Amino acid sequence: MPDAEIALLAIAGMAAVTYATRAGGLWLMVHVPMSRRVEAFLRYLSGSVLVALVVPAALQEGAAAWIAVAVAALVMLAAKRTLLALVLGVAVAAAYRAL
Amino acid sequence: MTVRLSMQGVTRGAREMAFVTASVFLFGVTFGVAARGVGMEGWTALAMSMAVFAGGSQFAALDLWQAPIPWGPLLVATFAVNARHLLLGASLYPWFSGLPPWQRYAAVTLLSDANWAQTVQAHAKGERDAGYLIGSGLVMWAAWAAGTGAGAMLATLSAAALKAFGLDLIFVTFFACILVEMRRDGRDDLPWLVAAVAAVAALWWLPPHWHVLAGGVAGGVAGVLRDAGR
Repeated sequence: MPDAEIALLAIAGMAAVTYATRAGGLWLMVHVPMSRRVEAFLRYLSGSVLVALVVPAALQEGAAAWIAVAVAALVMLAAKRTLLALVLGVAVAAAYRAL
Repeated sequence: MTVRLSMQGVTRGAREMAFVTASVFLFGVTFGVAARGVGMEGWTALAMSMAVFAGGSQFAALDLWQAPIPWGPLLVATFAVNARHLLLGASLYPWFSGLPPWQRYAAVTLLSDANWAQTVQAHAKGERDAGYLIGSGLVMWAAWAAGTGAGAMLATLSAAALKAFGLDLIFVTFFACILVEMRRDGRDDLPWLVAAVAAVAALWWLPPHWHVLAGGVAGGVAGVLRDAGR
């Protein structure tokens, strides 16, 4: 294991790199002139990032994840209540796993 | 409503993000346990969770935690796993550009997937206070740090508890809820399909952790190209 000083230095390095990724998106956009096309891109980007978070994760996790996603989506369509959809989706998936 | 950053926004964000506390705490516990498992000391794991606050890259770092530290791989892996933050930050720009730069760059200190998604959803409902992102991030940060500390101390709990209650699925499910709310008829379907295909392709053919970036960029470009062709 690394010494305490080296460990702290490594953590500081990771923190700096991670903050750079957090601030970097805003920083880059300062240098991109805003236009309707850029704004449309950013709007599509938000949804696409979420899709890219959900689909591969569900694919890797399998049936329980698809059940959670499907139940939550149906509740959202029917009732538009995020927390309710979240709880029901996760609960049905947990019940499926317990079967 | 003008763009601002205030304590009221921080409080609102914290309150509306409180529902993830249990699952983030338990994720933190699994990290604390895993860190002790590779021989990392408890205080080091806690310091990492407090300073880095990015689960994926912290788990990746455990594979590389040895003496001497492999600096290049450690920092490159940290960047690769967290590069998706670039897209999250960029998507906030149209809103945050109305703030003074120091507030803008302070507000993203605790940016992560879930509080970004929550903040985007709040923005769609009229929220204009960037403190929302900080408050929702603080809730997650506190739960992540507390969970890591608990896991490092106990180190006997397993990830099984997380799975039994479906808590490992909470983020995927949460993101799906936001997608349903965000979807615009006829406009988003094609770019989102492209995003899904690109993300899955990246999962298969690119090194680990690049799929969010690949899917996000592909979907964004597809949407703009389709609009231009109309």
